[in-house]
Amino acid sequence: MKATRFLILALLVWSLAPLTWQLYTSFCTDQALVTPFASLNQRWTLDHYQSVLNSNPPFIRYLLNSLFVGGLSTFLTLLLAIPSSYSLSKMGRRSSLVIKFFLIGCALFPYVLLFLALLEIARYLQLGNSLIALAVPYAALSQPLAILLLTNAFSDLPAELEDAARVEGLSVVQRFRWILLPLISPAIASTAILVFLFSWNEYPIALTWISDSGKLTLPVAMARIAGSSIHSVPYGPYAAATVIGSIPLILLVMVFQKPIVSGLTTGAVKG
Amino acid sequence: MTLELENVGRNINKQWIVENICLTVADNECLALVGPSGCGKSTTLRLIAGLDPVSAGSIHIRGRDITSLSPSERSVGMVFQSYALLPHLTVFENLELGLRVRGVPKPERRFKIKGILDLVQLWNRADNRPAELSGGQRQRVALARALLRDPEVYLLDEPMSNLDAQLREDIRPELRRLVLEQRKPTIYVTHDQHEAMAMAQRIAVLHEGRIEQIDTPYNLYHNPESLFVARFIGRPQINCLKGDSGSIRAVRPESIRFSDEGLSGKLQSREWLGNSQLLFLETQQGVIRMMTSPDQGIPAQIRLTWRAEDEILFDADTGLRSRR
Repeated sequence: MKATRFLILALLVWSLAPLTWQLYTSFCTDQALVTPFASLNQRWTLDHYQSVLNSNPPFIRYLLNSLFVGGLSTFLTLLLAIPSSYSLSKMGRRSSLVIKFFLIGCALFPYVLLFLALLEIARYLQLGNSLIALAVPYAALSQPLAILLLTNAFSDLPAELEDAARVEGLSVVQRFRWILLPLISPAIASTAILVFLFSWNEYPIALTWISDSGKLTLPVAMARIAGSSIHSVPYGPYAAATVIGSIPLILLVMVFQKPIVSGLTTGAVKG
Repeated sequence: MTLELENVGRNINKQWIVENICLTVADNECLALVGPSGCGKSTTLRLIAGLDPVSAGSIHIRGRDITSLSPSERSVGMVFQSYALLPHLTVFENLELGLRVRGVPKPERRFKIKGILDLVQLWNRADNRPAELSGGQRQRVALARALLRDPEVYLLDEPMSNLDAQLREDIRPELRRLVLEQRKPTIYVTHDQHEAMAMAQRIAVLHEGRIEQIDTPYNLYHNPESLFVARFIGRPQINCLKGDSGSIRAVRPESIRFSDEGLSGKLQSREWLGNSQLLFLETQQGVIRMMTSPDQGIPAQIRLTWRAEDEILFDADTGLRSRR
C-alpha cells in the first residue's frame, strides 16, 4: 500500500513537474528567470501572455487553426475507422489477423519517411496553405491506430446484442445508431482524443505545407516564437504560448473523462 | 406441421457443424434440443432464426419457405442465453426499439408494451435499466421482447442457464405459462436434461452435429436408440457392462438389486441424495452405480443382479441398439 502510494507520487512528480515549471516560467519576469534566488521588487508578471496574445496575427488565431485541423482530422479518422473496424471485427480470424498485422506495421512506420512523397502529392494537388489539406494526411496517418483500437472495442461487445437486434429487424444503420455507437462510445472518445492529440502536436507536415502566417498551427507558431530572435531565447513568451496551447487539451480530457472511465457494458451479459 | 426442418445443415470451411437435421414441431408443442457443448444445438437454433446462413436443406414455417429470408422476415421470437438486453436503455426502451423500427405508432407502442410488461409482472420496473434488475427479472424482460413480436415460432436458447438452481425451478411454471400458452411451436435449447424433460413434450438429442434420437422423455430414458443417448440421458449415468460377442449391456442404476447370486462386488463409496442413496460398487466389470432407497442396508457379501427386461443391449462397434 505504501509502495503504491510512493509510486503514484513519483509518477505525478515525473509528469507534472515540467508542466509546473512551464507555468512558473510563463508568469516570471525575465529578470526573475535568470536570477531565481535574488530578491526582486517585481517577480510576477502577465507581460508574456500579453505579448503572445497581442502579436500579429493574434495567438488565438493559431489556436483556432489547430482546433479546426484537429477537429476535422478526428472527424475524418472516425468516419473511416468506425465502419472499417466493425467489418474487421466481423471477419474470420485468419484474414483479420493478416490485416491487423499490416495495420500494426503501418502504425509503427515512421511517418516522417513518407514526408517527401506527401509533399509531392500536396504540390501536385496544389494543397499548400490550406488547413483542410492538413487534416487529410493527419486522418490517414491516424487510421491504423484508430482501427486497431476500435476493432478491439467492437470485438468485446457481446455478439448476442446484435443478434437480438437482427431478430427484431434492425438494419445495419439502425444497429449502429441504437446499439453499437452508444456501447463503444468510451472507445470512440479515447480514440478521438489520441487522434486529436496527434494532430495537435504534429510539426513537420504543418511546417512545410503552411507558409501563410495566418494559417499556422500551434506547434509551428510556437516554434516561430522560440526562434524569433537570433540573440536570445524568449523563454517567457514561449512558456506562455505552451500554457495557452495546452488548456484546450486539458479541457478535452476533463470533458471526456467520464465516458472513457465508465464501463458502459456492465450488466449487459451476466445475470 | 408448423415448423419443419428438412435435411438442414451448416457448413463452415468444408466442415459440417450440423448435418441432416430433420425436425417437425407442431403448434402447441415444445421440443427441447439437448446435447453436450459443441454438439450443434445452438447452431440449429441460429439457423432457424436466420442468424447463420443455411448451407443445405430447407426450413418451412406454416408451409412458407423461409430458408433464405432475413431474421426479421421470419417471424421468430428468440430469448438469448445472455438475455441480450441493451444496457444503456431502460426496460421500456429495450422493448420499444423493435416496435419503433417496424414503424408502430407511439401510442400503440406504449399500449402493447404495457400489456406485455403486465403479463410478465414488470410494469413497475419499466423505467429501470437492465443492470438494476435481478437475473430473473432480466430473463422476463427478454421473454417479453420475444412475446411482443407475437411470432410464429419461439426459440429459447438456454434461457435459464444464468439463473441459480432455486430460481430456475421457480421460473419453470412461469415460463410454461407465458410461452407454451401461446400455442406456437417452441424450441428449447438446453444442456440440462432435467430442464428439457420438465419443459418439453419431445426431446431431440444432438451429438456431433447430428440428431441421435427424437422422442418423448419417457422413451429416451427407457428405450434409447444408441449408447450415446443412453449415457447422456439419466443421472446418475447408466452402467455399461461387457456382454458376449461384442455387445454392451446397459443397466440403469435404479434397476440394480442386491441378491444371493450374480456379479460380486465391493463397496467403494456412497452418496446420500436425500430420498435415495447412490452406491459405487467395485466389480470385475468396473465400477457399478447403484441407486437404492436410503434405508437399504449393505450386505456383507455383495452380489448384484437385475431383471433381464431392465437390460438394454447395444452393439459395441456401432453404438446402436441391438434387439434380441
